[in-house]
Amino acid sequence: MATAQVPQSSSAHAAQQRPPLWRDAGVLKWFAQIVALVLVVGTLWFLSTEAVDNLEAGGISPGTEWLNGPANIQLSEGIDTVPNSAGRALWSGMVTNLRLAVIGIILSTILGLAVGLARLSNNWLANKAASIFIETLRNIPVLVQILLWLTILTSIGALTPDRGPISGWLIISQKGVSGPRIFLADGFYQWAVLMGLAGVVTYFVRKSLNAKRDREGGTSQAGKATVAIMGVSAVVFWFINPIVGFLGTPLQAISDGWGGIPQPVMQAILSALAAGAAVNWIRRFLNSRRTPAGLAKLTDDDYFRMIFAGIAALLAVIVLWRWWPGLSSWIINSGSDFWQVAADKFGDGRGARPLDGMKPTVSEGRFANYGPTGWTLTVFAAALLFGLVFYTASFIAEIIRGGILAVAKGQTEAAAALGLSRSQALRKVILPQAFRIVMPPLGNQYLNITKNTSLAIAVGLSDVVQVGQSLANKNNQFLTVFAIWMLFYLACSLTISLIVNTINARLAIVER
Amino acid sequence: MTASFTDPNAALSPELAARDDMINCRGVKKWFGDFQALKGVDLTVKDREVMVVLGPSGSGKSTLIRCINRLEVHQEGDITVDGIELTNDLRNIDKIRSEVGMVFQQFNLFPHLTVLDNITLAPIWVRKKARVEAEATARALLERVGIPEQADKFPGQLSGGQQQRVAIARSLAMEPKIMLFDEPTSALDPEMISEVLDVMKGLADSGMTMVVVTHEMGFAREVADRLVFMEEGNVVEINEPGAFFTNPNSDRTKLFLSQIL
Repeated sequence: MATAQVPQSSSAHAAQQRPPLWRDAGVLKWFAQIVALVLVVGTLWFLSTEAVDNLEAGGISPGTEWLNGPANIQLSEGIDTVPNSAGRALWSGMVTNLRLAVIGIILSTILGLAVGLARLSNNWLANKAASIFIETLRNIPVLVQILLWLTILTSIGALTPDRGPISGWLIISQKGVSGPRIFLADGFYQWAVLMGLAGVVTYFVRKSLNAKRDREGGTSQAGKATVAIMGVSAVVFWFINPIVGFLGTPLQAISDGWGGIPQPVMQAILSALAAGAAVNWIRRFLNSRRTPAGLAKLTDDDYFRMIFAGIAALLAVIVLWRWWPGLSSWIINSGSDFWQVAADKFGDGRGARPLDGMKPTVSEGRFANYGPTGWTLTVFAAALLFGLVFYTASFIAEIIRGGILAVAKGQTEAAAALGLSRSQALRKVILPQAFRIVMPPLGNQYLNITKNTSLAIAVGLSDVVQVGQSLANKNNQFLTVFAIWMLFYLACSLTISLIVNTINARLAIVER
Repeated sequence: MTASFTDPNAALSPELAARDDMINCRGVKKWFGDFQALKGVDLTVKDREVMVVLGPSGSGKSTLIRCINRLEVHQEGDITVDGIELTNDLRNIDKIRSEVGMVFQQFNLFPHLTVLDNITLAPIWVRKKARVEAEATARALLERVGIPEQADKFPGQLSGGQQQRVAIARSLAMEPKIMLFDEPTSALDPEMISEVLDVMKGLADSGMTMVVVTHEMGFAREVADRLVFMEEGNVVEINEPGAFFTNPNSDRTKLFLSQIL
């Protein structure tokens, strides 16, 4: 009896009496959080003020005003090769990076998937070829590969006005590839609106056809119906697109209304959004801690997160009103401009053709060069792209192979035993599970290829790093340029992470 | 004497002997590299017969039933299922697989699909059934295996015994003529074994042709029409349950029984 009572009373005793502060895990945790915060903020503050002071002592004041000044540089290629301001030059470089990243991600995924599947194939030749591809390319540094591609590509024949293979349509030379450019013409927006309507119709037709399949069995005709509706619509609307020109008037009204929003109102709206987001986050967070038995006991960590959400919202509001009122007027102006552009695209029913095209041209000067009319991929961009795509594809191939092999063999067997064909098993059973395994490492490769576009500097391509370096030299503004580089790559990477994480969360398998 | 108790038609009751052959294996041999897993197996399973295959691990029991629906490819001999010969002809393989259901030791449910979708997947995509009809069948089957309330859960949320019962329902949804069971209770906690065995007994009572690889002697004795004892890729004895447990023909069977009973 006595032995049973002793542990009871001692545990009740321990719960009531708090330990001294230096041994209280709860207090220590909070203390550590605050110390870490102070250290991080303090270090950053010290470094930045120190840098600014020293630079100012040397006669340089770091800032952003110079971005509006003249660029005085010429870009090797990009959306704007003779930019009228430094900011525009940087933007042109960023677009080059983004283009390379997007095309690179698409191509390396396709190539990686093909090589990965080939390496799993029972076909001896495909299997060995894939192995050699992977083992060679992933073991050579990407910079060496890019330079190798550049050497190979610049050994193609020199550009002359009548050069082929299809003279006047497709030209391949040591300066790159140039082919016809297809671009959006005036009628495109009308056409796009009509195609959107066709898309809505298709959606409902597909839904009803799939529902019919569910009700009556057999094979759904949804795929054929989609091709038929969208194909016929595309052709018909090509000719009758001006009928939606009347949309210009309401869009103009929206533009005018948007431009009429007073700045304080926009600031209030944005503040409300920030505060609402924080409140919503905290509410959802608390809901996620709610159990059937009531609210679960919140940990210190949970409180810290909620307080942090509140502080973040408060900071956002202060920034909006005190330090950056320009943001609100920018949103008002650019929003109005956006609707104005949309209204212009629809005015007075103009625009016969949605798309237009131009053939490539070769300008003859002291050195022949590609004219601006065609769609051109220069050898520099091609060397960088090939290097990045082949290098990244070799890693993606291994990720795909790993993902498929990681799906238990029993899954394939169970699908086979049920009578599913090999392709049905792949589509319905193996790939949905492999995709889940593959997604996180695949996201890493997408981040890598995006960051590696900065190797453009090796082939003299005007990307954000190369442009930024030139501008920093001219303006003595390394601090700002570094900040812009970091923010740019950070924004790209975080966007990719966000997409990958969203997909991951959707694919997660429910257990327990 | 030796030939008599490994004869594929040994120990058949007159009633069973009169029925059609459902599965016929003749001289089936199978190698994994240089290891011979099956050394010429002769076996006949009659229509609506329950055959239980026993034997120590590594004796080729699983390999044998996996050859019957071609999850493993046999290299010599003939296997005929319901009159269809198992060859490289893909059409024959598809036909046999749609007639033969299989339940695995590790359940092998599809973890990314709900219980209901697990069961309706093959009927919808292989049999081209209407979803509404397939779901109604699936719910009826879940009722039959005793877990109608789990239809919308995912496999990871179920206990082992429940998962195995879903696996049985999934196979039954294809309306097979033959069910193969590959150690269906070996991965289960003891208290879950009986719930799966009960479902299997119900299936046997309903007249399903079954080939069961198991170590559950109680089930073998109670439900089996005939028992097959295998060792090292050979069929050592085929006998009816009573004689098998009380008076086995081969010394090897006696030794096996003395070790496990």
